[in-house]
Parts: sequence; structure tokens; C-alpha cells
Amino acid sequence: MPIHILGIRHHGVGSAKMVRKRLEELKPDMILIEGPPELDEVLPFIGVSGLQPPVSIMIYNEKDSSKSTFYPYASFSPEWVAAAFANQHKIPVRSMDLPANVSLATVFRQDQKPILEEKLKEEDVPEPTIEELVSSETEKEDDVNEEKAMQIIHSDPMSHLAQLAGYKNSEVWWDYMFESNGQTDSPEEHFEAVMMAMAALREENISSSLDVQNIYREAYMRQIIRTAQLELYDNIVVICGAWHGPALIDTEGSAKGDAKLIKSLPKVRTKLKASWIPWTNDRLSMYSGYGAGISSPGWYEHLWAHDEDIPIKWLTKVATLFREQGQDMSTAHVLEAYKLSVSLCQLRGKSHVTLAELNEATLTVMCMGDAILLELIKKELIVGDAIGQVPDDIPKVPLQQDFEKTVKSLRLRLSAAPKDQVLDLRKENELKRSVFFHRLQMLEIAWARPKSSRTKGTFKETWMLKWDPSIMISIIDKAYLGNTVHLACLSKVDQLCANSKKITEVSALLGKALPAELKECIDKLLGRIDELSTISIDVQDLMTALPKLITISRYGDVRKSDLTILNKVVDRLLTKVFIGLPNACYGLDEENSEQVFMLISDLQNAIKINDNKEVTESWLDAIAKVLDKKGVHDIILGCTCRLLLDAERLDYEEATQTISLALSTANKPQNVASWIEGFLKGSGMILIYDNRLWNLIYDWVNSLDQEIFMDLLPYLRRAFSRFEHGERRQIGTKAKKGKTSEVQVLESEENSEGWNEEAAVDIFETLGMLMG
Amino acid sequence: MSIIRNNAEHQFAEELEEIIKQDTNEVPANWSMSPQAVVTYLMGEKLKNGFEVTPKYIGDRRLMEIAVATLTTDRALLLYGIPGTGKSWVSEHIAAAVSGDSTLLIQGTAGTSEEAIRYGWNYAKLLADGPSKDAIVETPMIRGMKTGKCVRIEELTRMSADVQDTLITVLSEKMLPVPELDIQYQAVRGFNVIATANNRDKGVNELSSALKRRFNTVILPTPKTAEEEINIVKTRVSSLAKNLELPVQIPAVTEIARIVKIFRELRHGVTEDGKTKVKSPTGTMSTAEVISVVNSGLALAAHFGSGELKANDIASGLIGAIVKDPVQDEVIWREYLETVVKTREDFRDIYRACKEQ
Repeated sequence: MPIHILGIRHHGVGSAKMVRKRLEELKPDMILIEGPPELDEVLPFIGVSGLQPPVSIMIYNEKDSSKSTFYPYASFSPEWVAAAFANQHKIPVRSMDLPANVSLATVFRQDQKPILEEKLKEEDVPEPTIEELVSSETEKEDDVNEEKAMQIIHSDPMSHLAQLAGYKNSEVWWDYMFESNGQTDSPEEHFEAVMMAMAALREENISSSLDVQNIYREAYMRQIIRTAQLELYDNIVVICGAWHGPALIDTEGSAKGDAKLIKSLPKVRTKLKASWIPWTNDRLSMYSGYGAGISSPGWYEHLWAHDEDIPIKWLTKVATLFREQGQDMSTAHVLEAYKLSVSLCQLRGKSHVTLAELNEATLTVMCMGDAILLELIKKELIVGDAIGQVPDDIPKVPLQQDFEKTVKSLRLRLSAAPKDQVLDLRKENELKRSVFFHRLQMLEIAWARPKSSRTKGTFKETWMLKWDPSIMISIIDKAYLGNTVHLACLSKVDQLCANSKKITEVSALLGKALPAELKECIDKLLGRIDELSTISIDVQDLMTALPKLITISRYGDVRKSDLTILNKVVDRLLTKVFIGLPNACYGLDEENSEQVFMLISDLQNAIKINDNKEVTESWLDAIAKVLDKKGVHDIILGCTCRLLLDAERLDYEEATQTISLALSTANKPQNVASWIEGFLKGSGMILIYDNRLWNLIYDWVNSLDQEIFMDLLPYLRRAFSRFEHGERRQIGTKAKKGKTSEVQVLESEENSEGWNEEAAVDIFETLGMLMG
Repeated sequence: MSIIRNNAEHQFAEELEEIIKQDTNEVPANWSMSPQAVVTYLMGEKLKNGFEVTPKYIGDRRLMEIAVATLTTDRALLLYGIPGTGKSWVSEHIAAAVSGDSTLLIQGTAGTSEEAIRYGWNYAKLLADGPSKDAIVETPMIRGMKTGKCVRIEELTRMSADVQDTLITVLSEKMLPVPELDIQYQAVRGFNVIATANNRDKGVNELSSALKRRFNTVILPTPKTAEEEINIVKTRVSSLAKNLELPVQIPAVTEIARIVKIFRELRHGVTEDGKTKVKSPTGTMSTAEVISVVNSGLALAAHFGSGELKANDIASGLIGAIVKDPVQDEVIWREYLETVVKTREDFRDIYRACKEQ
């Protein structure tokens, strides 16, 4: 019963080519591939269905998908090649390794029996479990992966051989020895050589951080080989990482010890599921933190696709890319680059041209030594932008399934060309679409983006839809959040809600949650706002949050959601603001005052929308108190004065008094200027229509010294610059006419008589300067 | 009488000889050693028999490999980069190693004429005997073509564009026609051109794309690390001091390190610890200028100073190298002096010396 062990490197092109040849020679009746047994249910899809690499198997726990593992394959992965061969020739194919549920939940440590991670948690931080093929997707685990990668580099026994042979690392050495074409033509010899090298290396007993786990893994692998042998398969081919090769030869003698080892593993009951997901070249590359990543998937693909004239074909590709980018690149360039790469390769004593030589030749011949262009090659060709495809009839991740189902039921299509969708929220189906889009927004899935609608009504929404296959991957990334889009949103909101410390953030979240119809979490969000508002002493934060909340409470009618609780919360927050506002305005510097001024204006608008008499009254009470307070910046004072005047809280006499007090010459001109800025609130209309006010200000400007006026000019300009062009022009015209117009009829005629031609000329000039 | 500066092939004659003796690789036609050996000569290495070859180029080995490999193809080599990154130095040594002769040199200037590249006439002979081969004045280019050696062109981009383009025939056809005599000079194997050009100068003429296509370009960068740069300065300064027979001690590495630090900080516009931004002067602040600052400092120290390199000896050279524009650079230098140099305990003497200038 021969077993043939083919030692490979994951994603090694040379390995893949050799595996293919060797399988054709051996014609096995059973193929075993390194990988946890959970993969078995999805392996039969390789090579026979519409799967288009790069794709990955995702192993996940249906209940808690935060812990998922990915097994990516490219067209040149030896495992992929072997499984495809098996499926095409109807040969059974199985995976052999430690089950993923065990390795995911177990911690292997040098001196102890492996134990469950959960048990360990209470004691100390667990060391990362090391799994060559594992790449976890959450950010936290990426860090772990980096650590892993570091450890592997430090402890990789193969680097020992590489150093002996004078290579800078084991990757380069392995690449050169086993992956590149032309070392040997016979696959049998190739795999023998690999086996011998690894056997010799294992005898050196170089310790590695992977050791402990490897003992268990290899025991399990042998166990699976034995099972296959017991089932009377007699031509078994085993495809595994080269390092494991020598350990798998002797299956008989180790049976007893293996059984014991496997028994000592902790029992894990979690059931894991596997499914195919599309992958990208970028994710195959090691830059994305994938432990067994390769630096140049695009180059490997090229190596896989071609058997001869590899450098010339590559350089032609490079030249074509440059031409597409509008660079002049002649055939002579390709020829010269090829010659240089061959020269370099001879100079370095290499038997064949590698990517390094090709890159250098490209840089020197085609790019005039300029490395910027080479970056383009790296992105487009060396890594490549291939995206895999998974056909519909293959089991998928639940979230993805739910997404596709919803898309179908809403009669939407995934298309790469951007398309606008105008939704009328009064129609049921369109409302559903809008809800769905809002939910995707919440999950940061960038398919539908909101655009501002042309109409002002709240029942219309415009969305821009643009599909891109990588969006599917971002959906799958979110798989751990929940099995349906709805559930995923809920847990996302939960996460964000628990993490935010500011009312502004939570209210923004609420603003997103409402149109996404996440009713389940609204109570929670409101509760959180309530909680935060009790602790928070930051009136500014409350004021920032309030306008949004008030707007939301107005939206309730269109969305049919029940917002009585929100209204209560809003009321309570308002009360807090009303009490706190006068003090919050005290002693602020200019910058903060301006901010408070903006906040007051916003809140005023929101309160106007709210249209509740009682609230409005107490709001006015609150700002009236600000007016009486000392130590408040003039911009705020001006603003409150205007608000009170608008609301007719100040009668005309009082207003005139306050204004002329504020404008009196004893005040510092700068203060007066910012008072005016606050008072005018970015609109000059009041100056145009209210002549008494006009006169007050007119007099004040008139009373200024030339010098002081020049000093003040910048401040005043700032106040006026926010006005609209038309307003400014009207004010200008009015200024030309001088101090009075209708007022003189209404009030006193003397005013107009007393005006002095000379002074007026002065004013025109200065006002002319004012208006720019 | 002793000459001021020996050619590379004389100065390093012993090394070249030793390398040729030890060379086991295949030697291209008319080369004096194999490409591998040329790289060894440039990068420095201990030979198998224990002979130590000094490094000529301190930096990325890859670049030298590309440069040498280029010469084995039929493309010419263009060394490109800002002034003072060692382009001419590298070109001289490559020529010395490849052809055993670095003297076939054409200097590119605004006044370089076509005759300097192609051929000239000996007018006395021309008038006496009429046009003949004897009346032709051969340029280094023709001599290189006839003997199969490397020809160096310095500052290629300083020549006017039409003169540059006379190279096209030579580089692509490997021959130089003499229409007056209806003959041509054909290049022998081993002939190639090494040109240098800089990209940071005023008054340069861009290469035409026809000519560009005949060159492989290698950009020589400024040294990556301070250590690399200190190493370069040290090697060059000690060999120059030996040449000039200055009766002075070769300065300690710490002294060179301080100057390199000042130059690097001004060049990169940020202090070494990455904490303070500084303005960069208009000059290139290249390694070559560090070398000349140290050298002139050494000369000052030898003849007018204590014989040991002191801050006073460096100061004038330092300011001269940094302040190229009397208005702008002066401000930049003052700022740097007051905000960065002054605060450094170990730069106190330099600060004082520069202040006194």
C-alpha cells in the first residue's frame, strides 16, 4: 500500500506544476490535502463548478461568526490543483489536519498540555495559536497575525538551510531551489529531493514556536492517512506543507502514540461550517497580513499560465501596461530589457531570470531609472487585481445569502455602472429599499450611497448604486456580526453604542438607525443618551446633539416609528440646556464663543421646527438670562439680543436701549464689531427693512474716528461678508441714501434735516470700502 | 615630478591586477575582467587569496550590478542623479575595471562641438595633402571604437541637443561614417559608452527620446543612512589626504559624523530625530560637498592650524558650502545655527566657530 507524500509550499507555482505532473503519473485512488476536515464538504466544488480563483474557504461558527478562518486558494495553489485533479477524475479527496474547531479554540504551549482558550482567559492573555494557513479578518486578530509572522520568521527552521546556502531568507531559497522551472524535469526526483532536504532539516532539531502544535497536527494527519488505508485505498497521494512530509511516512509504528496524543486534546463541541467566498489577489499577498501570504500573486499567476519564454512574455505584459498608461514603449525596449535581465542573471550566477532581475531591467530600460513607474507594475501586475467568483449554487455565508436574497426580493440589480435610484418613501416597496440601503450604510457596505435629493420634501431619497466585486468581500467581512443584514446592523449599533462616550455620537447613530428601521435598538440608544446626559456636564455637547434629535423627532411621522420616548428625552435634554446655557456662555474666549454662537443659532432653528410654545418660551427665558449676565462675549450677547428682538421679547424701547448701550463709544470698538456680527447673524435683511435699527448702526459708524474705523474694518467686513450678494448691494444703496428713509416720516423730521452733506460723503466712501 | 591625481587604473593598479589573477568567470571580448569581477572591484571584497579589495562605491550592490550588466548588452549606460552622488567617480572606476583605461573622456559643456565627439581635421595636413585618413584628428570616441574600450562622456546634458544627437549613430549603428573620405570607423567588441548627467542643474538640455532609448539609466541616490555617508566621506578624505600629502592626521569619525549630520539635516529638511523641521538651502548639499568641506578643513589645519582638524578649520568651508545664495541661504543657515546647532551640547565648538565667521 504505497503512500506518496508530495511536499509543497502553499501557493508555490513550481510545487503546483510538479504536483500536477506527479498526479498524472501516479493515477492515485485517494488524494489527501493538508487542511482541517471541515473543508471536506466544500472541496468537491473545486475544478468542476464555476468557482474562479482566487477564492477562499471560510470556516465559521454559525452562532458566533466572530471567529472565522480563511483558506485562500489561487489557481496556482498546489492544493487547488490537486483537488481539481481529483474532482475531474472522480477520485475521492479529503483534507487532513487538526479539526479547525479544535485548533481555533485551543492554546498550545511549550510545557503544558493543550487547553481550551476559554479556560485560559481568566489566568492570563493567551499566546496566539499558530496556524500557517490561518488568516483572521478582524483588526485585533491582524495584530496577532503580525506577531505570528514575526515568530515564524524567527523560528522558521528552513531559514537555517537557506543561510547555509547563502540566501537571505528561506522564501528566496525555496523559490530558487524548488519553485522555479528547470531544476529537474522529473517530478519524482523533485519530491524526493524535497523530502530529503526536510528530513535532514528535521534531524537538526531546530526548535520552532510551531513545534508543539505541529506534534498534534501531524499525529492527526497520520490518523487520517491510517483511516484511508483501513478503507483499503492503496494508492494514496498526500499533499502537505514540505515540513510535515517526513513525519507522515511512518504511519504504522506511530499509531498508538498518536491515539494517545489525540485523546489528550481538549474536547470541543462547536460545529463549524465551511463555505466558498470570492477572494482577491491583494488579499493573497502578504501585505494584507495573511500569514502564508505571497509577495507577488500576479507574477505567480504568470508563471503558472506559461511554461516557456516566461521573461519575454512578462516584459511584453509590462510594456502593454505602460502603453495603456500613455507611455511610449517600443518593442526595442522589451528586447533591451530582456537582454539586460539575462545579463544580470548571468552576472549573479543564477540559472534563470527571476522577478528581481525583470524588475531591475524594467526600471533601468523602460522607466529611465524612475521607481515611481515601477509602483504601477507592482500594483497592476505583480500583485494584480484579480477578483474570484463563486457561482450561485454553492453554499454561502449566511449574511451574503441574506444580502443576495434581499437584493432579489427588492428587484434590485448588482451592476458595475453607476445608477441613480429615486425613492418615494410613501410607496411600500421603495420604502423597503430605502431601509435596506440605510442598513447597508450602517454596515459600511459601499454599494448604495446617498445623494441629496432635489426636492425639499422628506418623502424622497436619491441613492447612487455602484457595484464592485470587492463589496462582496466586505459583506463577508461583516459575517461575524450576524446572519442577516438586519441582525448584523443591530449588533453593529450595539457595538458603536457601547463604545461612544458623547451624546453627539449616539444621537448621530440614532439618526442613522431610524431610517434603517432598527427599532429593536432605538430604546437602547435613547437609554444611552439619557444615561450620558445625566453624567455629562458638557452643555455644548448637548447643544450639538439636540438639533439633530429634534429633527429626528419630526421625521417620525414619515417613517411611522414610535418616538414618544425620544420626545421625552428631547424635552429633558432641552431643560438641561436651558438651565446650563447662561453659565456655559460665561467666560469663553473668542473661538469658543463663536462656536456657542453657532450652536445657539442652530438650536434656535431646531426649536422653531419643533414648534412647541412651552419649549419656545423657556428657551427665550434662558437666553434672556444670558443677556443679563456679565462676562459673556459680545458675539453671544448680540445674538441673544437679536433672538429676543425677533421673538418680540424685548419691546422696541428696550431693544434700542440695549443696542445703543452696546454701540456706545465707551465700549472697545472690537467688542462692538463682534456684537454686531452676533446681532446680524449672517443676514443683512434686518438692516434693510428696519430703519430704526439702521439708523442706530448708521450713527455708530458715523461716530467713529477715521483711525478707529480703519482698525475696525476687518471685523466689520467679516460680519458683512456672510451676507448674500444681493443684500450687500441693497445695503450699499441704502447707505448712499443716508441715514433715513421712511423713519423720518414716521418719527421725527428733524433727523433728516440735520444731516450733513460732508459727513455723508465720508460715509459713502467708508461704506464703499465696507462692501468691498 | 609627481602628478596631483592618478587615474583610477594607476591608483588601484595592484587591486586590478590581483582581481584579474583571481578571476575565474568568463571574460567578454576585449574586457579586462569578467562582469562579476568588475562588481567585486566596485563594491570591495576579500578575495579568495585573502587580498582585500577596497570598496569604490558605498551603497546598493544592485545598482552596480545593473550598471555592469548594461555594458555587456549593446545599450550604453547613463548614470543619472543630483550632483555629488558619485556619478563620475563610478564611471571612472567602471571604465578602469572594464577596459583598463579610464582616460577616453569627452567632457560635455555648452561649448562642446560635434568635432569633439566625431572627428576633427588637422588643417595643416588637410591643406597640404588634401583629405586623407592621416589628416583626421581622432577623438576619444574613435579611439574607443577602434580598440574596443569604454568611452566616458561627462555631463552629457550640458551639451547642446544637436551635439548630443551625433551620438545616436555611434550608439545604434556602432559605427562612425566619414563622408568626406567615404570610409567609416566600425566599433570593435568591448566598446561602449558610459555617460553621466545630472538632473538638478540649470542650463541642461533634455535628452531627445531617440537618444534616451539608446541608454539604460541608473539613478545614483544620495546615501541612505548616515553611516553609509560617513563611510564614503572617510574613505575619500583619507585617499585624497594621502594624495595631497597633507601633514595632518586623518580626522576621527566623530568629526566627520558631525559634518555629515549637518548636511543630511539640511538636505532632508528635518533634524535627525525627526522632531524639528528645518529649511533646505538652494544648494544640493551632496556628499561630494561634505568631502570638500572636510578636505579644505584639513588643508587649513595643516598649513595654518594645529595640524589637527578643529571646528575653526571647518567653519568657513561649511558656510561656503551651505550658503550658495547670499540672501536666502544666509537666513536659512542662521536659523539652523541658532535653533538646532546651538542647542546641541556636542556642537558647541562648531556653533562658536561659525558665529565668529
